[in-house]
Amino acid sequence: MGVKTVDDGAAFEHPLYRTLLSVPGLTVATTALDQVLTWGMSNALWVFPMATSCCGIEFMATAASRVDIDRMGTIVRATPRQADVMVVAGTITVKMASRVKKLWDQMPEPKWCIAMGSCAISGDFYRNLYSVVPGVDTFLPVDVYVPGCPPSPEALMHGFLRLQEKIRKSRKGETVTPETNSELLRVTRPSIPRMVDHERTPEMDRAQIESADIATEVEVTPAVHASLAPEPTELASNISGPDLPAVLTELGIAATGELGPPLVPARRHLEVASRLKSRGYRQLVSVVATHWVPGTARKGKVPDEPEHFEVSYLLRTVGAGSRVATWAVRLAPGEPVASLFQLFAGADWQEREQYDLVGVMFADHPDLRRLMMPENYDRHPLRRDLPANLPYAPWR
Amino acid sequence: MTALQTVQITRRVDPHLSIDRYDPEGELMLLHFGPQHPSTHGVFRMDLYLDGEKVVKVIPHVGYLHRAVEKLCETLAYVQITPIVDKNDYVAPMTNEQALNMAFEAALKLEVPRRARWMRTLFAELQRIASHLLWLGTFALDLGGALGGGSTVFIHCFRERELVLDLFEEVTGARFHYNTHTIGGNRHDLPAGWSAKVHAALDVIGPRLDEYEAMTLENRIFLDRTVGVGKLDAELALELGITGPILRACGVDHDLRRDAPFHAYDEVKVNVVTAQGGDCLARAQVRLGEMRESVRLVRQMVDGVPEGSINSGKPVKLPVQTKIPPGQVYVAIETPRGELGTYLVSDGTQFPYRLKIRPPSLHALSALPYIVPGGTVSDAVAILGSLDPIMGEVDR
Repeated sequence: MGVKTVDDGAAFEHPLYRTLLSVPGLTVATTALDQVLTWGMSNALWVFPMATSCCGIEFMATAASRVDIDRMGTIVRATPRQADVMVVAGTITVKMASRVKKLWDQMPEPKWCIAMGSCAISGDFYRNLYSVVPGVDTFLPVDVYVPGCPPSPEALMHGFLRLQEKIRKSRKGETVTPETNSELLRVTRPSIPRMVDHERTPEMDRAQIESADIATEVEVTPAVHASLAPEPTELASNISGPDLPAVLTELGIAATGELGPPLVPARRHLEVASRLKSRGYRQLVSVVATHWVPGTARKGKVPDEPEHFEVSYLLRTVGAGSRVATWAVRLAPGEPVASLFQLFAGADWQEREQYDLVGVMFADHPDLRRLMMPENYDRHPLRRDLPANLPYAPWR
Repeated sequence: MTALQTVQITRRVDPHLSIDRYDPEGELMLLHFGPQHPSTHGVFRMDLYLDGEKVVKVIPHVGYLHRAVEKLCETLAYVQITPIVDKNDYVAPMTNEQALNMAFEAALKLEVPRRARWMRTLFAELQRIASHLLWLGTFALDLGGALGGGSTVFIHCFRERELVLDLFEEVTGARFHYNTHTIGGNRHDLPAGWSAKVHAALDVIGPRLDEYEAMTLENRIFLDRTVGVGKLDAELALELGITGPILRACGVDHDLRRDAPFHAYDEVKVNVVTAQGGDCLARAQVRLGEMRESVRLVRQMVDGVPEGSINSGKPVKLPVQTKIPPGQVYVAIETPRGELGTYLVSDGTQFPYRLKIRPPSLHALSALPYIVPGGTVSDAVAILGSLDPIMGEVDR
């Protein structure tokens, strides 16, 4: 990156350098050659889409029929080795960041980077969460920022035009004027070190960091919205279907629990599941674990109830009049519950997810590994006593 | 269609197969497929264990886009969550908003006005067309440029998808991430003359569906790549919690629009499209059929949208102070990818205590260890494309 001026060149001086400079007409020829190279570089930007999420869809729309960036020589290549520009389109998580860096390192020089969308620029509203990188410029040198959530194809097109301008000017030793539209620069960014980039000034960053405090406050404006029960007095709907009480009676289980699905003793919940399956509940819908911690719930549970987990299971019948049956199991911290894997193969991933995020143990699970977070992660982030912005080096 | 063959599924593949037991003397190759790969539809990784070209074992790895949405939702007021879940299934944001707000409405026992219900249904069906068009385009790309040379199908599908996005843009002002649903109804009313534009768009899209069928279902290369590939039997699909077009391609007649009607689906007749075989071709047939059905439904409904209010609530000063009574509720709808559910645990405050989003794509991906082994590497690409995973909602 960076602009190579004559002064920079002195550091790499070749024995023949001065001799060549004295050849008449050679400097003119090399300047002309340089102009041809610049023309070629800026008009044949081959793009490597680092498309992870929503912005990737708008990137595809930019490459597709209506906008068609092929018109400006911008061809999408799926491999870093044939690309000049990396477009980071979408949220980059801590699990993905090292892969992005590796792919960036595989791209041959000269190369440029476009951060497309709020997530790639600053992490957007995910930026303070435990698994998200707050801006891709914390580890990549970004040349052009395209704001939006997601930016429209036209905005990305504009970003490419600005990049072309930057390439042309920087190869001539000129600087590029940043966007004059201050609205475009109102992107909130946490105060962590960024890679050096050429367009952004420290003042600009400081102004944005200061504005971040304002922007994160909830804006409360009188608006027309649903008016809602001011003080709740009655329970929300009971979500278990009509067949579950019959099954529980058959098995002689006295279900307890209010404010939620019936609570079944942990040692008998496999019986409930298999009985429901034989009654037509053949589809595993979901497994949901909730961590109850005293003091975190204001209503709904007795505040001085000890810490515990509640794992809810949802099964569904197939076809006309489809119904859901839900029951829950209450567990003390560290107490395992039997896995449903032998009855429902889908419990494999569902239980792994709840183990990963909430930290519930499932006995007899064939492969109880983390599903979402990296293998070496040491916390269960959805526990209620943990904050959302759990530290994750080097980003927070 | 003479190339149709039937492959008998004799026994279930062991997803946790020990490689050492497979062939102690054999030389297996480990191929990392992803997380950056053009046909992984985002960031998804499979470890493929290969015996020659044949896949022996598959270990899928998700979580490269884990954006901690469920943790974020616990810190936000109910009306603030809608724009967050837009980013989950970023190919069909309308249906995300519906599933979320329907759960809140169910917990509040809030009736949505009939006009808002019809509008939501219309949006859902238009979104289904857009989502399936995007799937068809990318699936054709996955199968190689052989389909009509290069990215023909992709370019064609995006041409029509833009028409649907234009309709949404006119209502909500956004190409996607609409934030148009709220608790108790919708935010944006239909503009004048919108139904004529819908008819004009469908006049274009309808006949072109015939073109797509000719380009794919009558294409020899397409059939060679899809017939008998990735066969999934119905019982396993149900156990895994697979829903939507993938389940219907296994011959299971199950669609929540008809079987557990929500919105205005109890006022119109939905013809459920099913196919036999459970292979990639059947999934393509179902999705193409569903697009036709959606075109028919939209045409039928767009002129009959009832007059009235679009929001059942009366104006309040502080929408973020909306409180939901303590309790638990599960609500599911049929999105283009299947059953999208919201499991809400409320403690009586204006923030959810636990919000679990049940994504259809996560369940679809959990079928990979069962259906990919036995095929080749190129089959793995076709199977992954036919499952239509959206990593935003898989990882959340």
